[in-house]
Amino acid sequence: MGKSPLLSVTGLSARVADEEIDILRGVDLAIRPGETHAIMGPNGSGKSTLAKVVAGHPTYETTGGSVALRGEDLLEMEPDERSQAGVFMAFQYPIAIPGVSIANFLRTALQARLEDGEELDLFDFQELLMERMELLEMDPAFAQRPVNDGFSGGEKKRNEILQMAVLKPALALMDETDSGLDIDALRVVAHGVNRLREENPEMAVLLITHYQRILNHVIPDVVHVMYRGRIVESGGPEVAMELEARGYEEYRKAHVA
Amino acid sequence: MSRIATSPGAASAEAIAPETERRGMAPAAQTGNLAPDPEWLTRRRAEAWAIQRATPFPSTRSEEWRYTDLARILPLDDLLPRGSGRPRVDGARGGAVHLPESVRCAIARDDDCAGRVIEMNGAVVSVELDPELASRGVVLDSLRRAAHTDPRVRAHLATEAVPATDGKFPALNAALWTDGVFLRVPRNVDIERPIRLNRWISRSGPATFSRILVLAEEHSRVSLVEEIQSPDLDRATLAHAAVELYARGGARVRYLSLQRLGHGAAWIANQRTLAEADSTLDTLNVALGGSFHRVDLNARLLGAGANSDMLGLYFGDEDQHFDFNTSQDHVAPHARSDLLYKGALDGAARGVFRGIIRVHEGAQRTDAYQTNRNLLLSEGAVATSLPNLEIGADDVRCSHGATVGQLDAEALFYLMSRGMSRERAERLVVTGFLGEVLGRLPFADVTGKVTREIETKLRATRTLRKTG
Ligand SMILES: Nc1ncnc2c1ncn2[C@@H]1O[C@H](COP(=O)(O)OP(=O)(O)OP(=O)(O)O)[C@@H](O)[C@H]1O
Ligand SMILES: [Mg+2]
Repeated sequence: MGKSPLLSVTGLSARVADEEIDILRGVDLAIRPGETHAIMGPNGSGKSTLAKVVAGHPTYETTGGSVALRGEDLLEMEPDERSQAGVFMAFQYPIAIPGVSIANFLRTALQARLEDGEELDLFDFQELLMERMELLEMDPAFAQRPVNDGFSGGEKKRNEILQMAVLKPALALMDETDSGLDIDALRVVAHGVNRLREENPEMAVLLITHYQRILNHVIPDVVHVMYRGRIVESGGPEVAMELEARGYEEYRKAHVA
Repeated sequence: MSRIATSPGAASAEAIAPETERRGMAPAAQTGNLAPDPEWLTRRRAEAWAIQRATPFPSTRSEEWRYTDLARILPLDDLLPRGSGRPRVDGARGGAVHLPESVRCAIARDDDCAGRVIEMNGAVVSVELDPELASRGVVLDSLRRAAHTDPRVRAHLATEAVPATDGKFPALNAALWTDGVFLRVPRNVDIERPIRLNRWISRSGPATFSRILVLAEEHSRVSLVEEIQSPDLDRATLAHAAVELYARGGARVRYLSLQRLGHGAAWIANQRTLAEADSTLDTLNVALGGSFHRVDLNARLLGAGANSDMLGLYFGDEDQHFDFNTSQDHVAPHARSDLLYKGALDGAARGVFRGIIRVHEGAQRTDAYQTNRNLLLSEGAVATSLPNLEIGADDVRCSHGATVGQLDAEALFYLMSRGMSRERAERLVVTGFLGEVLGRLPFADVTGKVTREIETKLRATRTLRKTG
């Protein structure tokens, strides 16, 4: 693993802007190209906050540390610049955009990546979209539905992965994409993620999850445990197994001690 | 049948008439040399004039104008055509009429149409109709001309749907209307392509008044798409329209009004729709341009099975002021009306919506809905929404609702996290928000024009904000 990290997070602390208490309290994390990391941790430990701070959510302000992508300071960038630099976050709770179809949404997102005056080739786009929907076993008619408007929980998650498959990020932050998916859907989504990893062996994945299940399909290189705004343990896939068996009790005790 | 082209460039009543004859089209209006009004009309004008004299301009003391101070918007003393101590109505002077670039451009963007009327400064200068439709008895004409030739015009103006007694502006219109459109569709005739009306106000000056009268006989179908434009005007100038739409049993009428006036222009319309049994009478009012826009829309559901979709869309910026005053009168039982007005307001724009559903006594099984939603894009924009219900029957389904909200920061982040700039993300949210309205009455060219104009306006204000 001689490669330099794609994403490096060092000593990162962050809070909700204008609040007093840090949610992230010194997170250290380095992900190299091609690696898949999983983060597990109890509810409220700061997993989503970490993903959102990396993606540039305006609600949070960083109070220390740094976040870099390929050595470039991400914290200085607007969310759209981070996206164009290769960051993609699959939301834990995707947002509805009434009146904007998935097709229109993705077309606009791709168009935004082009230089001024350059026009997206609509045939190529249509082809890519259809191919991606097929990969994720989605009905083509779905592309005409307004983004996340009235979607079921599972449909929303699948739609996040569709966007990821179309935008082809260098770094995919997947925040509980497995929650709310039925067993078959989980398999399809995991297959989609693996396909993207095959297509682009340099793609790095940060998978936030509560369950061991998805890690049977998308095998992680490293599993981290987050507790109260810090990464308190890192190891191989066996960490996830152990957590499944014994829960977070030991961290709680350690924290109290 | 191929597209009916209006000759580009110069056109005049005289020039168009021979051409239409050559193509065997219905007779064109020749407003340049109209005979004087028939005697009955002169009398009606005088009556209306007396009514308007006795009626003051609306003020903010009246409930219906509470949020719109007309005196501050329009030079009321200087509003009317000169010397209007007694009504005198001139037709257009003859001679060449040049279609301005923006009107030509608007026409070029239209999809196919079955007929077209062009009105300039309140005078009809061109009427064209698919000859096949004319041969089946469809009448599309200048209202002024039809007042001479068509007994139905007299009959209807005598029992006007928008009578002079309705208020100051209806009275002024009844006295001073210079021209307009008469459209009659005989029983069972289905006009698939829309009829178009292009209106143009060329300069600042006294108010212009015109009328639209649509009679759709039993089981006929027709759509009328109106588009009004002007350049930016240096003085506040009013254009007023009285619109009367009748759908007889089983007929379907759709009326779309697209206001794209320039700065300084004021638009006031009194619209009434009368829907008989099993008819459909849908309307869409789009307000994009002008400095002031006021629509009073009264939908009357007169027969069982009647249905009215009432749609509205507005996008205001700078100091634009839009005011919609709607009413849904359920006179007959078993009818349905569904109103959806949505607007986005930027800059220091102001939006007022006041709507009422009136379920008359005995109008059981009424389905009536009313929704007004506003999106504020700036600190300075203001929306006022006053939905209301008045229910005189017990077995009804009615709902009304209003919202005023801001751009959702979570939605913007979501879009930006996909690589869109803030401006692009805002444009997408706004067009998506307003798109719901256009989706309900899909005319591709109207949707295209409106979407483009909204995007242009958004781009303009956002760029200003950045550099300013
Ligand atoms: N916008 C916010 N406003 C207020 N509190 C917040 C906000 N975002 C996060 N928090 C708080 O920060 C803590 C961490 O939240 P976060 O969503 O990151 O947890 P999580 O690890 O993703 O939890 P879960 O497993 O339930 O998704 C929680 O206590 C949460 O209430
Ligand atoms: Mg979370």
